[in-house]
Amino acid sequence: MSLKRQAGWYKDAIIYQVHVRSFSDSNGDGIGDFQGLAHKLDYMQELGVTAIWLMPFSPSPLRDDGYDISDYRSVHPSYGTLEDFRAFLSGAHDRGIRVIIEMVANHTSDQHPWFLESRASRDNPKRDWYVWSDTDTRYGGTRIIFLDTEMSNWAWDPISKSYYWHRFFSHQPDLNYDNPTVRDEMWNVMKFWLELGVDGFRLDAVPYLIEREGTSCENLPETHDVIRELRKKVDDQFPGAMLLAEANQWPADLRPYFGNEDEFHMAFHFPLMPRMFMGLRLEDRKPITEILQQTPEIPASCQWCLFLRNHDELTLEMVTDMERDYMYDIYARDKAMRLNLGIRRRLAPLLDNDRRRIELMNGMLMSLPGTPIIYYGDEIGMGDNIYLGDRNGVRTPMQWSGGWNGGFSTADPESLYSPPMLNPVYGYQAVNVASQKRSEHSLLSWMKHIIRIRRSSPVFGSGSIEFLYPANHRVLAYVRQLGKETVLVVNNLSSAAQAVELDLRRYRGNILIEMFGGNVFPRIGDLPYFLTIGPYQFYWFRLRRI
Amino acid sequence: MAEETLLTDDFLRQLIHVGEVDILVGLRTHNNAKTIEPVIRAIQAGILKCFPRERSVIVNADGGSLDRTQELIVGASIDDVWSVSKVYALRTLHSISTRYAGSPEPGTALRTILAAADLLRAKACVVISPDSTTIEPDWLQRLIRPVYHDNFDLVCPIYSRQKFEGVLMQNLLYPMTRAIYGHRVREPYASEFAISGRLATDFLTRETWNDERTRIGAEICLTIAAITGNYRVCQSFLGPKAQPDRSASDLVAVMRRTVGALFTSLDSNFPLWSTIAGSQPVPTLGSQSEVMLEPVRVNRKRIREMFAIGVAELEPVLRSILSASTLSELQRIATLEVSEFNYPPDLWGKTVFEFAASYHKSVISRDHIVQALVPLYRGRTLTLLLENRDGSGEEIERKLESLCGDFERLKPYLLEVWADRK
Repeated sequence: MSLKRQAGWYKDAIIYQVHVRSFSDSNGDGIGDFQGLAHKLDYMQELGVTAIWLMPFSPSPLRDDGYDISDYRSVHPSYGTLEDFRAFLSGAHDRGIRVIIEMVANHTSDQHPWFLESRASRDNPKRDWYVWSDTDTRYGGTRIIFLDTEMSNWAWDPISKSYYWHRFFSHQPDLNYDNPTVRDEMWNVMKFWLELGVDGFRLDAVPYLIEREGTSCENLPETHDVIRELRKKVDDQFPGAMLLAEANQWPADLRPYFGNEDEFHMAFHFPLMPRMFMGLRLEDRKPITEILQQTPEIPASCQWCLFLRNHDELTLEMVTDMERDYMYDIYARDKAMRLNLGIRRRLAPLLDNDRRRIELMNGMLMSLPGTPIIYYGDEIGMGDNIYLGDRNGVRTPMQWSGGWNGGFSTADPESLYSPPMLNPVYGYQAVNVASQKRSEHSLLSWMKHIIRIRRSSPVFGSGSIEFLYPANHRVLAYVRQLGKETVLVVNNLSSAAQAVELDLRRYRGNILIEMFGGNVFPRIGDLPYFLTIGPYQFYWFRLRRI
Repeated sequence: MAEETLLTDDFLRQLIHVGEVDILVGLRTHNNAKTIEPVIRAIQAGILKCFPRERSVIVNADGGSLDRTQELIVGASIDDVWSVSKVYALRTLHSISTRYAGSPEPGTALRTILAAADLLRAKACVVISPDSTTIEPDWLQRLIRPVYHDNFDLVCPIYSRQKFEGVLMQNLLYPMTRAIYGHRVREPYASEFAISGRLATDFLTRETWNDERTRIGAEICLTIAAITGNYRVCQSFLGPKAQPDRSASDLVAVMRRTVGALFTSLDSNFPLWSTIAGSQPVPTLGSQSEVMLEPVRVNRKRIREMFAIGVAELEPVLRSILSASTLSELQRIATLEVSEFNYPPDLWGKTVFEFAASYHKSVISRDHIVQALVPLYRGRTLTLLLENRDGSGEEIERKLESLCGDFERLKPYLLEVWADRK
């Protein structure tokens, strides 16, 4: 069954981020695949998610977990075939789940045939598909992103005896988007997948598409021209398909990526995420309200993407030095937990496996303005393995049961793509889907519940937000409103019970209905509305005038 | 425990909003609108700069200001600190204010602050004077750090002073506290200090708040409570301290608040202080005391007159307080011209101790006893001015040390008059 591409579907979506390799292995080779993923679609449907974001699955030398693509129109043999992908896509659509795939547009693998041709000689027809230079001094004002591994944004190519430009690893040469042929070819790649039926793309590393001397080579006007060109083609030929920007920038710098509803439909709100962790630990709403105050309005059809954790490190690029030091001290005391400018840990270990804090963070994720993304495994509280290199510690096999390899694969444990989690706290014997399905009070059951409630009202996806500023700074309170529907959200960021007085006079006469239990709370009057709220507790109230 | 009646409902509501804190900065104000703004800014900058991660609050106990003192404190925004000091706030910094009941009184204000610190479970409580216009943000660090990081319970300040500032401290409070309690605390009566949460709670729960003399001299009582309670005491160098404008008539009130409280403390602490001989230095962070040598204009003739008139007019009172030999010697000194005037340190020590003993026996009204000390103190001050007119900082320090030595040597005399006097 084909799921109709309906305009704006992403605004009310709940996105589940999955790596094919890590989810389920159907053929016992130790690596997750599309057939395995398709078998787990019922699980995702039951969880309540409405979209799946797949990490790269194209053929690749896998030196950067698939973000180094060597063939854009195929499936990595370890994950199956294009036919397997089609079957998975169809199965997802049958269940009303949309599929977003990665478009690693900024760069390819150095093993991609395009690059092999480009480097073969200086007069190769594909020479101009990448950014070449005789010196490594051009674009000197450009920062290096992977500080831990790269010394320069230029790498020497001994074959064509010149330098090529790369913003990420040196084995990931940047494509030259000044070349119209490259732009056409990348659109053809997108068209290929859209014709197969995918519902949208997450465009990787978009700020870096174009380079210009004397600039930071980020967020350039010409980059926006490229995006507008792609968006127009998408709208004209595949209306309803969605483009999501991965641009780790300040909100004000991100705003242009929405354009006049003619660039991206969605963009990640990177600076909010570390501030949610900061606010929780400081027991102070200030970091959260401050960044959201700095977040500009976006066009009506556009949407922020919110997340707590993902496949990368918890990035601390968009914080001040003082905030970064604080985050490291609080969340990554062990230096092995740090990578580049971030923290490579999963949600549950970051929060000391404290169920109350995990719930509160998910509560905020689901109620702040934007579309929430759940990283696979976080719905059951999976742990991480900081002793695996790079970001692999947060990409370990999904834990389905307490049995062989946690139910991920029937292969010998030694042959798995990554060692499964084994420790007594986060290992698959302790944390797995099967056991949590059996308990009404498990984290998994709770996640299903909150997702169901979130989906019960469009106010969370599309409503406005107004912050209340009660004198108690440990309480983060806001009102979401859409049409006649109003929801009051009150979060206690503190480890201690709090008393709070809310100025709700403009909603005088309404009664509050707590959305999780359905209980009625007293009517709002002229006096400040007094609430007591337990440690790390939160309330969602629907306001009703009866 | 905070006493119920001490905190108004409104103040309690404000405290609930603030919640548990690590650091509480206390202010005691009464019509300080002229000076409070730079003080608040320095406090905010100091907290944000030195303790950005700590939960902090500024609590003002106001004695009924009629100017805009309270509004200026509550309205001080941390955004102003960013524009001046480029210090970014990681977390919320509350500024709250309350008008305590009764007439303006630093002791009641302190008690209100301690009650707030107790309720908010502050680990460190620092009190800053609202007229300390020379305050630097670093003062916060110098006062709080020893409590917060090094487990001290009381941090007293040391200031750079003009050589004739803080004369009461140098002439009486420091030498006597040192001789009595055996700890060399340079500013036992301080307008800036920091205390630990446990000392705050202990001091707050003492019965002594019901005694007016203790209440009005709460600062010196706090120092004495820390020393006698075996709390860890240290001193921290803050730098120059602006001397607030005070009229001469304030001296009696100041003496009551300080000397009266010190004398009162001797009653209940006799078993302890009577066994102490000599004195121990207390840990001092930063520089030692510094004396600035800017010339000061003083009317020496007028001071001599006030001394001589006091000795003459108060003779009946002094006769009931002092020994015959001491009184006779004072009467002799009262006849001297300024050029020959000398109130020697050992005689000053004997005078003070005889006053303390008479205060203990309450030979006359205790207030009158303290009041009668005022002209004699002026006489001793004149000697200090004359002796140190051209003295260097080192010389002044040496003489102060010698005076303290005299007080310590005379302590057996205090024990003697304490026991023997009728």
